[in-house]
Amino acid sequence: MDEMQFTPSPEMSIGVELELQLVQPHDLDLARDAAALLARLEKSKLPGAVKPEITESMIELNSSVHASHATLAAELATMRDAVVREAGMLNLRVSGGGAHPFHSWSDRRIFPTERFKHVLERYGYLAKQFTVFGQHIHVGCPGGDEAVYLVHMMTRYVPHFIALSAASPFYQGEDTSFQSCRLTAVNAFPLAGHMPFVADWGEFLEYFETLRGFGVVESMKDFYWDIRPKPDYGTIEIRVCDTPLDVAKAARLAAYAQALAAWLLEERPRAPERAVYLVNSFNRFEAARYGLRGALIDPFAGRKKSLAEDILDAIAEAMPQAERLGSAPELAALAADVRAFASDADWLRAQRGPAGALGDVVRKAAERWSAPA
Amino acid sequence: MDLSFLPQLPPVFGQTFLVGALLLAGLLGGELARRALGLPRIVGYALAGMLLGPQVSGVLGPGALGNARVLIDLSLGLIVFELGHRLDFQWLRRNRWLFAAAIAESAFSFGAICATLLAFGFAPLLAASAAAIGTATSPAVVLLVAHELRSAGQVTERMLLFTAVNSVFAYVALTLLLPFLHLEHAAAWSLAVLHPAYLLGASVLAGAAASFVLLVLARWVGKREDRQFILLIALVVLAVGAARNLNLSVVVTLLTLGLLARNLDRRHVLLPLRFGYGGQLFFVILFVLTGASLDFSALPAAAAAVAAFIAARFLGKALALLAFGWLSGLRPSGAGLLSVALLPMSGMAVVMVLDTAALYPEFGGELAAVVLSAVAVLEILGPIATQFALKRAGEADPAAAGG
Repeated sequence: MDEMQFTPSPEMSIGVELELQLVQPHDLDLARDAAALLARLEKSKLPGAVKPEITESMIELNSSVHASHATLAAELATMRDAVVREAGMLNLRVSGGGAHPFHSWSDRRIFPTERFKHVLERYGYLAKQFTVFGQHIHVGCPGGDEAVYLVHMMTRYVPHFIALSAASPFYQGEDTSFQSCRLTAVNAFPLAGHMPFVADWGEFLEYFETLRGFGVVESMKDFYWDIRPKPDYGTIEIRVCDTPLDVAKAARLAAYAQALAAWLLEERPRAPERAVYLVNSFNRFEAARYGLRGALIDPFAGRKKSLAEDILDAIAEAMPQAERLGSAPELAALAADVRAFASDADWLRAQRGPAGALGDVVRKAAERWSAPA
Repeated sequence: MDLSFLPQLPPVFGQTFLVGALLLAGLLGGELARRALGLPRIVGYALAGMLLGPQVSGVLGPGALGNARVLIDLSLGLIVFELGHRLDFQWLRRNRWLFAAAIAESAFSFGAICATLLAFGFAPLLAASAAAIGTATSPAVVLLVAHELRSAGQVTERMLLFTAVNSVFAYVALTLLLPFLHLEHAAAWSLAVLHPAYLLGASVLAGAAASFVLLVLARWVGKREDRQFILLIALVVLAVGAARNLNLSVVVTLLTLGLLARNLDRRHVLLPLRFGYGGQLFFVILFVLTGASLDFSALPAAAAAVAAFIAARFLGKALALLAFGWLSGLRPSGAGLLSVALLPMSGMAVVMVLDTAALYPEFGGELAAVVLSAVAVLEILGPIATQFALKRAGEADPAAAGG
């Protein structure tokens, strides 16, 4: 039961995980050198942690726990610099973005740990297709009941995080017409989706124990939900974001999650409602397909509005909290992007050029990731 | 009865038939080696060539081999161009120890071979020339084994880099020894200085000119894979032809072309290189012809010297890599595997030996026998060593490696 014991964390603390692409410069395809890079990074004294991911073409940066956006952004920049430097020693490039534009999934190789081997055995080709790159945002909660409340309430804002981070327009050599095609790779897993509509932590534990009794899951890691409670960290984890093209954006998204959570937990504007989950698939699809230009059904008001408008309203509502938390300029920057309909996905499309060379997209994305802000 | 429409008997077959026969023999040899013995296909190509060659069946006589020199140069040109194109100056700038390690790898194998040959009582100048020739790893073998295994990773990348560096090192060292060979021949000092200067300088210049034309035209043509493919082949063939006609080094010219095409391409006008099946044709021909020119006849007599030559060469490489590898970010196991991967000896060596012997007949005797025997042995063992190293390093694609 240890893992399911909810460890309270400092209120409104934040942390992020960033899955990154390793690229080989000669053909700009994904590389397979995660192990060599991780071995080099072990020797350098870094804040946070760098970990392997499902295939040998990925690494994952984990920040430490932060109270404010400023320290998180600084730490991510430090980690970025170290990773880029060590990757350069091995003739590798590092890039953000939710998916590699043209790699072939069958070329991928599973990183050899017991857990990843098990995932391959269980899920077959889905495991290799899962070579997509996401940002996970953790927000600290004082207890399990608060976490359950926050998961239900944040679900309404899932399309915001999808649209704001969308950075995977290309997949398998084609323009998918989606702003974030990465989510489609996640949807294929049987335990994808969302947390059931439980009332509190006690009810959640009952649900978890039932599934564990059936042998469906062994731990929280088996749920590939959009937002899941992470009791051992004492957080909720938002998992729908594509990894942005630079660390500044990644820190900014965390600041937005933090301000929204602070607003929801302190003001408790409403009780959780099932209606959120009725419209969830539609809203999620709109955000992944059209990004900031998508539509959103507001389950509370019962009407359709533009996603951009909804984000601007939410930012306005969370702004007082952001001012208190010291991240008001970050939310203002996000709002400016929304007004301009500026997204990483469109930036990537713009790099493709008239001849349609996807290699250029990869190279420019890696240059952007590596540039000190 | 007028039978003049019949060909003369036995019929005489020309170049076209020869090329087809080489390809077929290579295909069969490669598949047999793969399926029956689990060896790299390259070994099969070479064995097929040996069976056809003057040493065994004599289907391919010395005349046919002479005519095929164009094909060898073209194939070698393509391979060396691709090798040059893989080299990234940015990597050397970011990882300065890498270049030091590559130079040490060349210098140590040169020194070790030279010392060994001196110990066997060869004259210093001859020993140094043979050591220079022996320093080079075969670009064709390492590139092809890497392709065949779809290998990717640190050992693979460094293997290609070090091969490019030691190929240049070998050629430059041999060229720098030329003046001494000339002077020992009592040639005029002007010849002794001008000949190597022309060989190196003009080869680099020709490669640079070709790379300039390539980049300008690539920019104009645009990023279309089909058109850039034609452009690349055109310029590679053009450069090989020019190098031959101007008495330059095909290897240095084409390596320069590849290197500069990659590293001067600031606007990134060139698409990533893919020679595909078309390239494979040239590679098969190259290895079958190399196989046919292999000469094991002197091996029994020179066995001790050949074994010492190969051992010294390997130890030199291994020592340098173990000493400098870790500074460039290579793990000790990787350094060991890299020195095994670099074992294949270049088919270029055959050409270098013949060219040197033409200049300096004394070279053609016993020493040539040692070098050519080492080439022959390593043509068979080298690809196996490279394949083993890349698989052991975990960089081969299991699907490609198992099939």
